[in-house]
Amino acid sequence: MDIPEELSYTDDHEWVRAEGGRARVGITDFAQSALGDVVFVQLPESGATVAKGDTIGEVESTKSVSEIYAPVGGTVVEVNGALADAPEQPNTDPYGAGWICVLEPADPAELTTLLPASRYRTLVDS
Amino acid sequence: MNSRRSPLHDAHVSLGARLVDFSGWEMPLSYPSGTIAEHLACRTGAAVFDVSHLGTVRVVGPGTRELLQRTLSNDLDRIGPGRAQYTHLLDEAEGSVVDDIIVWWTGEDAFDVMPNASNTSGVRAAVGGVDVTEQRAVIAVQGPGARVALGAVAPDAAAVPRFATREFDFCGARCTAAGTGYTGEDGVECAVPVETARALWDGLLAAGARPAGLGARDTLRLEAGLPLHGHELGPGITPLQAGLGWVVGWEKPEFRGRDAVLAERAAGVRRRLRALVGAGRRPLRAGAVCVIGGEPVGEVTSGNFSPVLARGIGLAFLPPDVADRTLVTVEQGGSRLEAMVVAPPFHRLDLGAAPDAGERD
Repeated sequence: MDIPEELSYTDDHEWVRAEGGRARVGITDFAQSALGDVVFVQLPESGATVAKGDTIGEVESTKSVSEIYAPVGGTVVEVNGALADAPEQPNTDPYGAGWICVLEPADPAELTTLLPASRYRTLVDS
Repeated sequence: MNSRRSPLHDAHVSLGARLVDFSGWEMPLSYPSGTIAEHLACRTGAAVFDVSHLGTVRVVGPGTRELLQRTLSNDLDRIGPGRAQYTHLLDEAEGSVVDDIIVWWTGEDAFDVMPNASNTSGVRAAVGGVDVTEQRAVIAVQGPGARVALGAVAPDAAAVPRFATREFDFCGARCTAAGTGYTGEDGVECAVPVETARALWDGLLAAGARPAGLGARDTLRLEAGLPLHGHELGPGITPLQAGLGWVVGWEKPEFRGRDAVLAERAAGVRRRLRALVGAGRRPLRAGAVCVIGGEPVGEVTSGNFSPVLARGIGLAFLPPDVADRTLVTVEQGGSRLEAMVVAPPFHRLDLGAAPDAGERD
């Protein structure tokens, strides 16, 4: 199970990459493996204001539907439009081309409440 | 409750399968290549499925044909020994489908009645016989390349015609092959003794067949427009509503549920199972509400993604008078998807007839 050290995580199996104060969000390798083949991603609206924990999208596989939650509150500043034609990217490259959206946090301190890789690994191993 | 395991359990584990509980059986959902790759392998080449969880109730002896003729809906006079038939066990009072079944007529007075896993005991109660499920594995080889792959391992089995059955020898064991399946492709299902199952499975993989799990089995049957018990068939759902009037032996003087289905045929069905293709990739989902002209008129019974069409697809009960190409709004989980009524199988549709994907999502 790939859990990059430099990323932060949520217990909903999302990852967050801090990029100059912004937060790039995706689903983890564990999440994509559990979902199976992803066939459709419902992206958030670019420009939308969201609170931490809000449902901001859905990932649908041949097996099930899984919601995407905002790992921090803020504004959606970018979405991965390539997923419309290539929804399998969270399977093939969950931490790269499979990213979902970028958030501009309203309170950057919320980023520090996320799980470090070591704690996320404990979560998925348990 | 402990799950039952297939005789091929160890093979699935060594292939890295994701195992899930299915009707009390621990069965492979998918292998590492994933459901879509397995699905496409079946549409374009050869896929092999372990379907040992299906029941086999063996009914033999004089009078068996007459007993099954009185009990099950389809007409055995349409076939003969050495043939296979899809049939239903109906509820006596309401004519709904208690189970859908494949019958292998293996010898003059010998029948293997194959219900869904969860209905085996109920079907056995209706037809008698012996539950021999534990004694054999059932391996389904499906796809345009299925007979080539099977022919490399068991040539006699590979030569069985569509909806025929025949005995064949494999590794010194007496086995049964039938030209049946649940994928919309040509193929063969082989019932083999438990101790012989692994050799046939491994032989098929060596011959180029790709292992496929129950996830692909479900997307394949849906794409082929085939019903699944518990979704398109079950309590309250009759063969006519499911579009399966051909499964009823209307000329037979007696069979369970006859009065109910004759009455429904005379009065006309109140709903009919139809096929829906979505305008985009998003899967339709069971339970979604179908809206036509602003009115809720039905419900999706099964839905998923069609790997061949790259569209969401589903089956739904709609009013009986809805025409092909009618546009339907499908409301699910706060989303509204546009879909169109089409004639299955989905994987043979000309998508020029469907709404453009650019209109939505």
